Order: sequence, then C-alpha cells, then structure tokens
Amino acid sequence: MATLEIKNVESGYGQVQILWGVSLKLQPGKLTSLVGSNGAGKTTLLRTVMGLLPAMQGSVHFDSRDVTKLSPHDKAQMGLVLVPEGRQLFTDMTVQENLEMGATPGSARGEYKKNLEWVFELLPRLKERRAQVSGTLSGGEQQMLAIARGLMGKPKILMFDELSLGLSPLLVLNLFEVIRKLKAEGYTMLLVEQNVQMALAVSDYAYVMANGRIETEGEAKQVREMESVRKAYLGL
Amino acid sequence: MNFEVLIASSIDGLTLGFVFGLMAMGLTLIFGVMKVINLGHGPFIVMGMFAVLVLSQNLGINPYVALPIVIVLGLVTGIVTYFVAVHRVINAPELTTLLATFSVNMMLIGALTILFTTSPRGLSLELPSFRAGTITVLGTRVVAVLIASLVTGALYAFLYRTHTGKSIRAVANNRAAAELMGINSSWILALSFGIGTVLAMVAGSLLATLFGFTVLSGGGLETKSFVIVVLGGLGNPTGALLGGIIIGLLESITTIFMPVSYVPVFEFVVFILILLFRPNGILGAR
Ligand SMILES: Nc1ncnc2c1ncn2[C@@H]1O[C@H](COP(=O)(O)OP(=O)(O)O)[C@@H](O)[C@H]1O
Ligand SMILES: [Mg+2]
Repeated sequence: MATLEIKNVESGYGQVQILWGVSLKLQPGKLTSLVGSNGAGKTTLLRTVMGLLPAMQGSVHFDSRDVTKLSPHDKAQMGLVLVPEGRQLFTDMTVQENLEMGATPGSARGEYKKNLEWVFELLPRLKERRAQVSGTLSGGEQQMLAIARGLMGKPKILMFDELSLGLSPLLVLNLFEVIRKLKAEGYTMLLVEQNVQMALAVSDYAYVMANGRIETEGEAKQVREMESVRKAYLGL
Repeated sequence: MNFEVLIASSIDGLTLGFVFGLMAMGLTLIFGVMKVINLGHGPFIVMGMFAVLVLSQNLGINPYVALPIVIVLGLVTGIVTYFVAVHRVINAPELTTLLATFSVNMMLIGALTILFTTSPRGLSLELPSFRAGTITVLGTRVVAVLIASLVTGALYAFLYRTHTGKSIRAVANNRAAAELMGINSSWILALSFGIGTVLAMVAGSLLATLFGFTVLSGGGLETKSFVIVVLGGLGNPTGALLGGIIIGLLESITTIFMPVSYVPVFEFVVFILILLFRPNGILGAR
C-alpha cells in the first residue's frame, strides 16, 4: 500500500503566495481528510501535489520517492490520481471514452475490461449512460463519472477535491457510500471537503487548513470534538 | 447558358473541393487541438508539392506511390516544427504563437526558394480520362478525390477508434484533465501538429498532380484554407471538408461568368458574409 508525504510545501499563483509551509501525510490504506473553508488553499495544495502548479519550496514524496518535479502525467502513470474540483470531464466525449482516457496509465491498459466492469458495478448509473456525451449528464452523474474515470487509472493513491459540491444531500450520501466501499478495498485516499461534517465522519485522520496553513491535525474523531473546529466548521 | 459547361464546372469544383477540404483540415485540426493559428500552413502545402516533385522527377517514383513517403516527411516536419517553434510559446497569448508560426513560414519559404527558385513547376503525369457524352473528367481528379476521401476516413478512424486518437480529442477538450489521466499532453500536441502538417502536405501533393505550381503557391492556398476553415467552423474537420467542397464549387462556377482573377475577391466576400451572419461556421451554433 502506498504513502504520500508532503513536506513544507509553499506554492501560489505567480507572485501571489497561497501556501505557507504545508506538511501532510497519507497513511497507507487510510482515509485522510483535508477540510477548511472556501479559499483556504486546499485546491492549490492538490494542484501543487499533482504538478499542475510548481512548488516554490518543499517537496512531495510518493512511496518515499521524491516526485516534486515530475509532470502530472508522470505522477498519474505512477498511480497518483486526482479527481479534480469541478469534475473536469472531457465534455465532448462519451462516458465510455472518458473512462478509456482514465485507463491511460500503462498498468491500467491491460486491465481495462475488468476495471470497467468493476466501476459499472460500483456506479451502475454510468453503465446505462455509457454512450452518452458526458457534457449532457446531470451534475451527480458527472461527479460519478469523474470518480469512475479516476478509478480506471489503477490508482495507488486517490485524491478527491470537493466531491459533494453542488449535489443534493441524497447524492452526497451515495457518493460517500462509494468512498466507504473504496476504503474497505484498502485504497489510500485523501478527501478534500468543505462538507466538514461528512468528511470527518468517514475519515480516519484529518487536517484542518486555514489561510494556506495547516491549523490542526489529528484523529478524525478527536478533531470532531475540538472546540475550535466545532465553532468554525460545524456550526455548533 | 450552356448546361454542359455548368455540369463540367461543377464536377471540376467538386473534385477540387475534396482536396481543398483535406488541405483546410490540417489547419482546423491544429487550431482545434491547441488554439494555434498556423501561419506556416502555406509553406507546408508547398513542401508537399515539392516533395512529390523531387520524389517523382529526381527519384523516378510514381507520385501516388510517393504519398506514404510524403506522409512520413510531414509527420516528422510537423513534430520537429512543434518542438522547435511552438512548444515554448504554447501557453503564451495568441499573438506570440502567430508570430512564431509566421517565422516558420518565412524561414521555410526562404529555404524553399534557395533550393528550388521561384520558377513554375509541374508534374508530368498521364492518366486516362473518363468520358460521358461531351463531359470529360480527368483521371488525376478522380484519383485525387479517392485519396482525399481515404485520408479523411483514416483521420476519423484514428481520432475515434484508437486510444492515441481519442487522447488527441481529450487534450483538445481539456488539457489539464488529460495530464491528470496520465496523458503526455506535450507529445499529443506535437503529434497533432504533425498530423495537421501531413494533411497540408498530402493536399499539396494532390494539388501538384492537378496544377502547375511555384514555391510561392502557398500564400493563396493558405488564405483559401482560412476561408474554408471559418466557413466550416474553426476546429471542425467535417466542416472543413464541407467548406472545401463549397469553395471548390463556388470557384469553378464563378469562373464561368468572371475572370479567374476575381475568384479571391469572391472568396473574401463569402468570408465576410459568414463572419457577419454565421460566425461559428455553417455547421456551428449560431
Ligand atoms: N488561478 C488562480 N490565480 C490566482 N489566485 C488563485 C487562483 N486560484 C485560486 N486562487 C486563490 O488562492 C486561494 C486559495 O484558493 P483555493 O486553493 O482554490 O482554495 P480552496 O480550494 O481551499 O477553496 C484563494 O484566495 C484564491 O482566490
Ligand atoms: Mg477548492
């Protein structure tokens, strides 16, 4: 099982620095969540981890290998997979073509058929829609496709950015159920969420980010009980 | 007016239109994938003409048999051009990529002029013609249509049936997401530029089997490609084929009534009308 370690990462956009010495570690087979309010820098961190943004300082280690400077496609080929915020589907292509693109990594090509059956089992809705152009799917279906597309790449580490954003409560429950199943299969995962309540409820470990810094970390159970977290994020 | 002249001109225009469509597809594919307007398109067409000239006249290879060699040359030329001139400015504003491809244009025309001078050239190619009554269709035209259709079909099969072809569409659709899937987008962009160049060069080779040409023939053909691409909708290969046929027909039919030198004027009137009334092309949304 894989690990990911982020050490003292600083990053931002052009001259504007957003992240200030962020460190975070994913334990193998565990579900870790990164929560924090809108604009805290969560997406910026994920973009930096994948190499879509260069790190100004610090390093990213995947299975103890330094991957800081690798391109996003190299990281994806190694099994580091991000399901990005806003889904970022290939909206002009069909559901099945999106899944095929997800299966680009060398290790995933050979198992395409098997994996396709598995994601259709996990998200049966997509099977019905396989020939539909993905841009015409509903919001919930699009999010399912984004998850399934990520799973097609045979990930060793899976990161989700705002799975629940803009979806109905019922759909959110469904998607969290999928996350629970993936956890049972032993995936190492990072869940980035504004839906703090839900994220903390399913996670093993949690980080709280504010203003580009990690403010708090700990076992998800403990973080949930913290006075500061309850006030700021849980509205209690 | 003579009905048979009209029919003959229409057949001429239709056959030419397929080659025009192929030519414009090269330009529209590159734009569709990377939002770069390739001002090196004209010289690439001319390279196709001279490649087939050298291969047939100097090396004695039949022009049609030479086409696979032209395809390989085009792929290499396009990929090298991408990495030398386009890759470093791919994320820069449009003006920068225009200037970069314009320099490619100037350098290629310069080099071709040194190598071949600007005197007129032509292939000596004899094929049997097809006759029906008083109407004659040249064999070279028929073969050009067949090859243009074949290449178009192959392009579509590649883009819709193969993993690499689908990756090109994915990169065109969302480059960052494609990277996240493990697709090497730089390589895909280079390959797309290569394929666009192949289309331009093969179209050039086919045009060389139909007409005489010079090193400077690319300029007019490049502007014609722009008109066709806008007519068909930027980035739309099917639209380019349709646009090519329309321009081919318009061109051959107008020359019944007007001197040939009016053709560009006519083309640009069409161009402006489209920009005014269907800016997304005849197939695009209004
Ligand atoms: N492309 C961008 N260019 C400049 N600033 C950005 C860009 N994207 C995000 N930001 C800024 O970076 C900060 C963190 O944003 P983000 O990482 O998206 O936060 P989160 O995902 O936690 O909501 C915000 O202040 C946001 O305005
Ligand atoms: Mg975000």
